[in-house]
Amino acid sequence: MTNLLWLQGGACSGNTMSFLNAEEPSACDLVTDFGINVLWHPSLGLELGENLKKLLNALTSGQMPLDIFVFEGTVVNAPNGTGEWNRFAGRPMKDWVTDLAKVAGYTVAIGDCATYGGIPATAPNPSESQGLQFLKRQQGGYLGTSYRSKAGLPVINIPGCPAHPDWITQIVVAVATGRGAELSLDEFQRPKTFFTSFTQTGCTRNMHFAYKVSATEYGQRKGCLFYDLGCRGPMTHSPCNRILWNRQSSKTRAGMPCMGCTEPEFPFFELAPGTVFKTQTLMGVPKDLPSGVDKAGYVKLTAAAKAASPAWAEEDIFVV
Amino acid sequence: MPSAVQTLDISPVGRVEGDLDVRVNIQDGVVVDAWTQAELFRGFEIILRDKDPQAGLVVTPRACGICGASHLTCAAWALDTAWQTEVPRNAILARNLGQLVESLQSLPRHHYGLFMIDYTHKNYSSSKYYKEAVRRYAPFTGANYEIGVTISGKPVEIYALLGGQWPHSSYMVPGGVMCAPTLTDVTRAWSILEYFRREWMEKIWLGCSLERYEQIKSYDDFMAWLDETPHHANSDLGMFWRMSIDCGMDKYGQGHGRFVSWGYLPHEDKYQKPTIEGRNAAVIMKSGVYDGRSDTFKLMDQNFTREDTAHAWYDEPGGLHPFDRKTVPTQKNAVDMGGKYSWATAVCHDESGRLEAGPLSRQLIAGGKHGESWQHYDPLVLDMYKKLGGASVMLRHFARMHEGVKLYRQAEHALREFRLNDPWYIKPNERDGRGWGATEAIRGALCHWIDVKDGKIKNYQIIAPTTWNVGPRAADGTRGPMEQALIGSPIKDPSDPVEVGHVCRSYDSCLVCTVHAHDAKTGEELARFRTA
Ligand code: SF4
Ligand code: SF4
Repeated sequence: MTNLLWLQGGACSGNTMSFLNAEEPSACDLVTDFGINVLWHPSLGLELGENLKKLLNALTSGQMPLDIFVFEGTVVNAPNGTGEWNRFAGRPMKDWVTDLAKVAGYTVAIGDCATYGGIPATAPNPSESQGLQFLKRQQGGYLGTSYRSKAGLPVINIPGCPAHPDWITQIVVAVATGRGAELSLDEFQRPKTFFTSFTQTGCTRNMHFAYKVSATEYGQRKGCLFYDLGCRGPMTHSPCNRILWNRQSSKTRAGMPCMGCTEPEFPFFELAPGTVFKTQTLMGVPKDLPSGVDKAGYVKLTAAAKAASPAWAEEDIFVV
Repeated sequence: MPSAVQTLDISPVGRVEGDLDVRVNIQDGVVVDAWTQAELFRGFEIILRDKDPQAGLVVTPRACGICGASHLTCAAWALDTAWQTEVPRNAILARNLGQLVESLQSLPRHHYGLFMIDYTHKNYSSSKYYKEAVRRYAPFTGANYEIGVTISGKPVEIYALLGGQWPHSSYMVPGGVMCAPTLTDVTRAWSILEYFRREWMEKIWLGCSLERYEQIKSYDDFMAWLDETPHHANSDLGMFWRMSIDCGMDKYGQGHGRFVSWGYLPHEDKYQKPTIEGRNAAVIMKSGVYDGRSDTFKLMDQNFTREDTAHAWYDEPGGLHPFDRKTVPTQKNAVDMGGKYSWATAVCHDESGRLEAGPLSRQLIAGGKHGESWQHYDPLVLDMYKKLGGASVMLRHFARMHEGVKLYRQAEHALREFRLNDPWYIKPNERDGRGWGATEAIRGALCHWIDVKDGKIKNYQIIAPTTWNVGPRAADGTRGPMEQALIGSPIKDPSDPVEVGHVCRSYDSCLVCTVHAHDAKTGEELARFRTA
C-alpha cells in the first residue's frame, strides 16, 4: 500500500482533469493494480469514510504515513504572506503544505502552477503565488532551496499546463513499485526521462523546419510554426510529440504553436502586448533560437536550408 | 416549541469553482438558512490588464480546467466582436465541436466520479436499490464507476485532433481556428464518437438507442419509456431516476425558480460577422430568462448584467455592469456572514434579479417558444418541471444528463458539415474596441467582456456559471441561487448532512465535501465526516 494525498492550491483543476484522461494505467488502475491508496483527492478520494481534517492531522502528526504528497496549483501567499486568500479546511492552504511536506516520503508538484507558479504568478501576481520549490526560474519557491522529502529528494516537478497524464502516472507507479531511487532529475527537478528531449522531437512539421518553410497563417496544412507564429518547440523540453496527448495528437501536429509550458518562463514575455502567438524577431532573426544554436549558425543554416528546399515543401502536405 | 438552531460549517464543499465552503443553519431537521462562500482568489482579471489583446486565449482557459474550451470560445468570440472579424463557417463548426466534446466528457465524469457516489451513502441503505448502487457506483471499484470515469476521456480525444490536447489548448483565435483537420481527423473523430455512443451512451446509460430516447417529448413519454423494458429500467438512467424518487431527491433543492442561459452554439452560416447585438439571433440553442413563477420567457441581454459586491470581498461600488468593474480585492478577507464572506459576486439581472444558471436553466429555456423559429426547441424538462412541482436535486441532475444526446447530435452535425477545402481562418485586423463573448459551459452561463485600448487589454471581466450560482447575498438580502436551494433540505442526521452535498452537487459543485458540524449553542463539535 502506498498512501497518496492530492491537494489543490491556486489551481484550475486542469491537472486533475488531465490525470483522469489517463489510460495504462487509468486512475482506477492505480488503485486496483498498483495498491495506491488515495487518501483524499479533491474529486476522487472518497472511500475512507473519515473526515478530511482528522485525516490531515493524522498525517501531519505522523500517526499515518504519507508516502506521496501531490500538490496541484500554486501556493497562495496573499495577502501579505498570510495565505488567507486561499483557505482550505479552515486554515490557509499554505500552512497545510508546510506541515504535509515535512512528513511526505515524496513531494510531487504537478503542473506549472505547483512547479513554477504558472499563470497565477504572471505579473503582477495578485495572489502572491509561488511554486513549491521554484518561482519561475528562481529556485527556492515556497518550501525553500534546501527542502528534501523523507526519501531525500527535492520536490519532483512535473510541469506542463497541464501535465500530461502519463507524466503523472508513470512517476506515481515508479514510486509505488519501489523505483523511486531511480528517478533522475534535471536542473528544474523535472524527471529526465520525460524532459530531456524537445517538443520538436517527433513533430510532424520538422521537415518544414529543416527547409525553413513557414506556416504564415493559421489553418494551413503545411509549414513550421517557428518562423512566424511563435512556436517554442525547439527550445522547450517536453515529450509532447513522443507521448501524444489524449492518445491522438499534440499542439504542433494540430497546428497550434507550442507555448513552452514545461519551461519556467511560461507564459513567455508575461503576455506583453505583441508577444502572443507571434515570433519575436531582431532584425529578421528570431530572438529566441533553437536550443544550442547561435546566431551565426542559424543564419548559415537558414540560407542553406532555403536553397535546398524542395518544391513539395510548399504544398499542402497534411493532405485533405 | 421549535428546537434550537444548529450551525454547520462545511469546508470545503468543492474547489473547482474556487474553493466553495457552505454554512447551513438547521432547525427541526430542515435547513432554514444557508451561506455559500468562494474561498480562493487568483485575480485573473488583474493579470489580464495591460496585456496582449490575445492573452485571454491563453489565460482564461486556465480559469477552469474543466470547462476550458468554454472559456476559450468566450475569449475568441469576445475578440471577434471587438476586432470585427469574419469567422469562416468551418471555424464556427470547429469551435462548436471542441466545446461539445468537452461537455460530453463531463457527463460521465460528473455522473459517476462525483454525483452517484452519494447514492452509496449509508443514509440510503434501506433503499431497495442500495445494494445495486454500491455494486455500480462505489468509488474506484464500482463496475460502472470504472467504465464511466475511464470512458470520459474519449470525447476529448476529438478535442486533441482539433487543438492538440485537452485540457488547455488555445486553438480558437479571432478570425477562426489554428487547425485545418484532414479527412483522417474527421473519420477518426467519427469513430471516437461512435465508440462513446455504443459503449456508454446506449449500452450503459440509456439501455436503448439514441433514436428511441429522442422520441421522448413529455413526462408521460418518459415514464412510459422507463417501464417499457427492463433494459430501460435497469440502465444507469433508469436506476438514477428510480432510486432518486425512492430516496426523495425529487423533494428538495428548489431554489429561486428563475433561470438564465446565454444560449450557445453559433450557427455556422449566421454568425460569420459576429457582433454583440447579433448573437441572440444566431445561436442554435436559444438564450433566455425563464421565470418559473409566472411561466414566462424572454431573451437574455448582456446589457442587464450587474455585479453586486455588498457581501463579496471587493472594495468596489455595487451594482456595476462588468464593463465598469475594476476588480479591487479586499485585503483582509475575514469571514463575516452579516457582511462580506465570498470571492464570488452576487450576479443579478437588472430587471429579473438573481437567476440560476446551468443545464436545468438551459433545458427549461429550450422549452420556451421565444426566439427564432429555426432555433432548437425541446419541451421535455419544462414539462417535468411543471408536473413535478419545480426544481429539485433530481431534476437538476436529470437535465444535465438529458443534454447528452443533443450534444452528441450536434457533434455529428459539425463533423458532417466540415468542408475540408474551405478556409479555417481569416486573418483579422487588430483594433481597439469593446467585445463580448458568451456561451454555455456544461455547468451554465459563461461570458467574457473585453475592452481593448491602445493595443492592449484595458479591462477584462469574466462571469462564470458558478458566479451566478454560488454568489453570496445581494445588497437587498436576496440569497444566492444555491443558498436558496439549500433552504428546505431535510437533514436526516445533523451529524452527517449528506443532503447538503446533494444540493451542491446537483449544481455541479464538483468536489467532495468534508463537513464539520458544530452545535450553535455550545460550539461543540458534533461530528466530522465527509458527505460523499
Ligand atoms: S512546429 Fe514547432 S515543434 Fe514543430 S517543427 Fe516547427 S518549431 Fe518545431
Ligand atoms: S506542446 Fe508545448 S505548450 Fe503544448 S503542452 Fe507541450 S510543452 Fe506545453
